[in-house]
Amino acid sequence: MIGALSVLSGCEPAPAPNFRLNSIEVLSSERMNLEEGEKISDENLEKVGTVLTSLFGTPDEPKFPFLLGDEDPAHEVISLDNLKMAAGPVSLDQAEYKTGLFRKHCAHCHGISGDGAGSTAKTLNPYPRDFRLGKFKYKSTPLGKRPTDTDLKRVLVNGVPGTAMLSFRTLPEEDLNALVDYVKYLSIRGETERLLISAASKLEGDEKLFDLSLAESDETLEDFEDQLFDLIDDGGFNSRVLPKWLNRDRHITKPAPAPASFAVDHPEHKELIIKGKELFHGAGGCVQCHGPTGLGDGQTENYDDWNQWAKDTQAIPDLPDSYADYTAVGALPPRYLRPRNLNMKVYRGGNHPDDIYRRVLNGIEGTPMPSATALQKNTDDLWAIVAYVKSIPFEADNVPAKPVNDKPIH
Amino acid sequence: MNRFWSILFLLVPILGAGTCFMAAFNIWPLENCWYPANYSVQGETIDFLNDGVHLLCAFILLGTGLFLAWNLWSYHSKCEGNAKHIHHHRGLEISWSLVPGAILIVLALYQYQSWEDNRLQRPMIETDGVQVEKQPLVKIHAKRFGWEMHYAGPDELLETPDDIYLENLLVVPSGEDIVLQLESYDVIHSFYVPKLRLKHDIIPGMKQFTWFRAKEEAEMGIYCSELCGWGHTAMKAKMEIVSPADFKTWMAQQVESALPKFAEVDEQ
Repeated sequence: MIGALSVLSGCEPAPAPNFRLNSIEVLSSERMNLEEGEKISDENLEKVGTVLTSLFGTPDEPKFPFLLGDEDPAHEVISLDNLKMAAGPVSLDQAEYKTGLFRKHCAHCHGISGDGAGSTAKTLNPYPRDFRLGKFKYKSTPLGKRPTDTDLKRVLVNGVPGTAMLSFRTLPEEDLNALVDYVKYLSIRGETERLLISAASKLEGDEKLFDLSLAESDETLEDFEDQLFDLIDDGGFNSRVLPKWLNRDRHITKPAPAPASFAVDHPEHKELIIKGKELFHGAGGCVQCHGPTGLGDGQTENYDDWNQWAKDTQAIPDLPDSYADYTAVGALPPRYLRPRNLNMKVYRGGNHPDDIYRRVLNGIEGTPMPSATALQKNTDDLWAIVAYVKSIPFEADNVPAKPVNDKPIH
Repeated sequence: MNRFWSILFLLVPILGAGTCFMAAFNIWPLENCWYPANYSVQGETIDFLNDGVHLLCAFILLGTGLFLAWNLWSYHSKCEGNAKHIHHHRGLEISWSLVPGAILIVLALYQYQSWEDNRLQRPMIETDGVQVEKQPLVKIHAKRFGWEMHYAGPDELLETPDDIYLENLLVVPSGEDIVLQLESYDVIHSFYVPKLRLKHDIIPGMKQFTWFRAKEEAEMGIYCSELCGWGHTAMKAKMEIVSPADFKTWMAQQVESALPKFAEVDEQ
């Protein structure tokens, strides 16, 4: 029976998946840098792919451009062994050598290319994260800085409550480490891709991203290599992408010690909450988005950075015609970013007071949540806001006077 | 060829009862095919009932199968004489209604205590001289595709600021009645811990309770046993049963680590 089926359907393995070109970025760069109606030439787009494959390999055989060999500082960011474990098709041999962790656990939502457009993405709200922007929301470092490995691993272990990102607590440590490295790899690859696309969109007329014919003769080989070097080194990867991932631990925000009244049983805890409430409704400006009772019902028509194209084209989620050209190249229909409802008792970036402190102080990367730099010096005010935020779900107005339905139901 | 069918039909009870026997007594190649080890007190009754029903089924399968095979063997086409055709045999009809009926009634009565203990009567605890229902230790909020565990924290009450929140990790003490509150954010899930013989559907919009008492320390898996979407198979959590002393230490650690670093207060 199985034999007959395989004869009928053919038993060749499915073709190896490829990284998908960031066509949303292509369209956005064309809009920004070219005259109306002009497009980046197919030849140059193909060259973007060639450069990326030579630097980063394929989903089955990942590489990483350690340009300085063994001495390259990038070894601190990426381990090739980890990449190989996370990449490729799902397999586990008898010696327990694993591959394909990313495809097994992540790719159905985040996509093979880490573009947040896997096969289930459309059904999820919020959409899965697109790693190619290099921005991560829940981290211990300030805006503009990359998350540490510990931050990324925490997201894997705890998941992101309130979203479809689940907790991978049951995976062994080495699998988690491999996945963290692979996320960084996809992110670095994606950022490099965006820079290359932007470079290609800035070329004029028949200019080419690089001239392949120079590589054909020995005399001009050096020129060809210079061209590539300019593209990789000055053009982005080595100067603008990789450095952000080095020495990340130096930037970790260490929360200031909390005032004693932060303890729930401290006699002055109520005063701290009242102070936090005043800041929340006043100087902090939190109420504008999160609403007076923290329901997240303030400003609700913002886009985040992952929907930058929608912001640029003033797309309106309810009017599909206003973004049809982007969905045609594979963009998911845009959605406004809802400010967080603070009554849920769970927080996407972690429940620890330090996490909320960092969210308030540093803001949230890629979203309209600003960093509270004005309060940086006055850490007691920050802690007051944290105390108030933590107390919102338990405010007398929001809690039923009597426990509801606490009898067993059969 | 004459007796081919009788031999084929004879294989059914032999293979059926045989594989069941091999699995129950861990005989090659069916080792570890019986139920997993049981770690809960009420699991003992459930296992006893399960074993009983299995044994009964094996007995009936053997009896009917052997009887069928014997008939086929004795009355195959080349045999002399005809089989007797029986219609409307009152004695037979009454007996095959009453015997299974009696078995079902005995089973129903026998399992009722177990049903009441596990589903109807929540463990009681004495507070100020009054017996009250024990409060849940953890609220388990199921969602596609994971388990949010909200521990009651030091005040032993849920929905208070000192609750401890952990994703996909349930730590409980052994030797005590543990009450869990089950809720769902989205669709129907089912809280399933095979090693505790515990399974409870979780319906969105309903607040439900389940309980158990673990016999000893162990680590086990929690699974969702109601198909809830594409990630159903990934909906697993870890459960650790620890000694009551270890649980206290663990809880204290959680409470401690949920606090920020405080400024040192100058006592003067």
